[in-house]
Amino acid sequence: MAKPKLTTLSLCVALLFGAAACGPSLVLEDVDYSQPIESVIAPDDNLEVHDQRYAVKFNIGPIIEEEGVPAEEVRLIRNRAGYYFLTASGFNNVYVFESAESELKLETKIEIGELSQPAFNLRDGNIELVDLGTGETYTLTHEGLR
Amino acid sequence: MKKFMTSTISTLAALLFVASTTVVAQQSDHQVQQDFRADYQELVQKVDEASSSDEVASLVDEISELEAEYSGYADLLDQALYPDTFEQRIGDLQSRLSVTQDNIAVIEDLNERIAELEAEIEELRSQLSEMDEDSDALRERMERSAANERRLSGLVSQYRESLENRDAFVSELLDDLMRRYEAMDAETQSEIAEAAESLEDDPLALLETIISEYINLADRDAGLEAADFLRMRAQHGYFDTIWDKIGERMASAYAPDRPVQAEQEITDLLSAWEASVNNKLWGALSSAFNQNGIELPEFTSDDTFNNALNAFVDDAIAVAQEQNEEADYELYRSFSDYWNNTVKAQWGEHLIAGNVLSQSDIAAIDVKLGDWGQHAAPTSNLMFILFLISLAVIIGLIVLLVTKKN
Repeated sequence: MAKPKLTTLSLCVALLFGAAACGPSLVLEDVDYSQPIESVIAPDDNLEVHDQRYAVKFNIGPIIEEEGVPAEEVRLIRNRAGYYFLTASGFNNVYVFESAESELKLETKIEIGELSQPAFNLRDGNIELVDLGTGETYTLTHEGLR
Repeated sequence: MKKFMTSTISTLAALLFVASTTVVAQQSDHQVQQDFRADYQELVQKVDEASSSDEVASLVDEISELEAEYSGYADLLDQALYPDTFEQRIGDLQSRLSVTQDNIAVIEDLNERIAELEAEIEELRSQLSEMDEDSDALRERMERSAANERRLSGLVSQYRESLENRDAFVSELLDDLMRRYEAMDAETQSEIAEAAESLEDDPLALLETIISEYINLADRDAGLEAADFLRMRAQHGYFDTIWDKIGERMASAYAPDRPVQAEQEITDLLSAWEASVNNKLWGALSSAFNQNGIELPEFTSDDTFNNALNAFVDDAIAVAQEQNEEADYELYRSFSDYWNNTVKAQWGEHLIAGNVLSQSDIAAIDVKLGDWGQHAAPTSNLMFILFLISLAVIIGLIVLLVTKKN
């Protein structure tokens, strides 16, 4: 009785390894997604923003709803790891999104306080947030303020 | 005290460092590239609109300043301007400026040419106008002195001299035009055509003025004689020849929008000038021959003048052959003197240059004049008398011999 059980278990393990072997196994590592200069994009009437240079298009309606203020133009930048950082004048937060299939998923919402003239810079793979209005500078990661 | 000073300087230096790092930290990369693009575009526009060497010189500095101001952001700008680079953009600006500089050099050269040409035309006009004023003053004096023959004769000589000076001046101008435009290449022609649009006065207008004044001179007929009108014909002939050679080129250069009409306008004026001269020339020539006892048949053109001369000589030869009278010989001598000493010696050059008579026309008359001389010369009777004497002597001897025999 114990022998058939062992055989069945071995078979299951072999099948599991076989299935894993049949899936994609090629992984490219150390990909640099960083965008050297932020994109400053005005949303259209439908609140869609389209960054033609870096080929990304999405709707900022949910963010505007979240912030409760309109945005004449949004500032978007991507860090080395591939996370999108988004903010705009009048926003209190910087939104960090992870890209997924046909969606941007909120990774972190970094609370800064009301930003008068925000601007993103890429500094050594990290994102620097500057408020040109107040002169404040912040270093951001996808996890939050550094 | 020294310690206090040192600590104050250190504090200030630290503050300055903090301030400068704050300034650097407050920079937006996006703003840097936006500013660069705006400054670059502004310079491109300035380069394209530059219209003088001074502006180009100032733009050279501005490009250097732009390069110096943004060279610290070269890497950032290389990424922002991809596929261009910061260095390429600066290079493009410099190349663009170089092209503008070349264009400006051409334009400035052209402007210089225009200024030179205008000054030259103005100078020519002023000299011509001075000459015309002198001639007019002389003519007026001649009109006032009509009663005093001696005085009038002196003034006519002066007037004639002033016209000859004017002719010489115009001939020099035509020679100069000939030198400039006969071998003018297409590039120079198009350069002049470009410049001609800015010319207030051009050589075509100057030529029109000159010809119009010639027409006025011919029409005035102030004490002028056949020789003067023949000189006018010669001047016209020379003008006509030069215009044939350079008219098309000059018209294309100075009236690029209407070259055919411009050329035709001057050609028409030349024809009008010839007609004005001819109006006076045939009458003046007929009078001149008449005054020397030579009554030529009527003539009103170059051909009929040549025919009249030939007809007169042919008739005279025929009469001399038939009559061989002293009067025929006198007429021959009179014509021959006038033909050789006045017509050929004094007018010959103008007759040929003005296309009134050709070299061969003159040579033909010379040949006929030789025949006329032979036929008009009185025949000698000496031989006939000697023959009669000889005959009489022979007859006498025969009669003597016959008488002696008998």
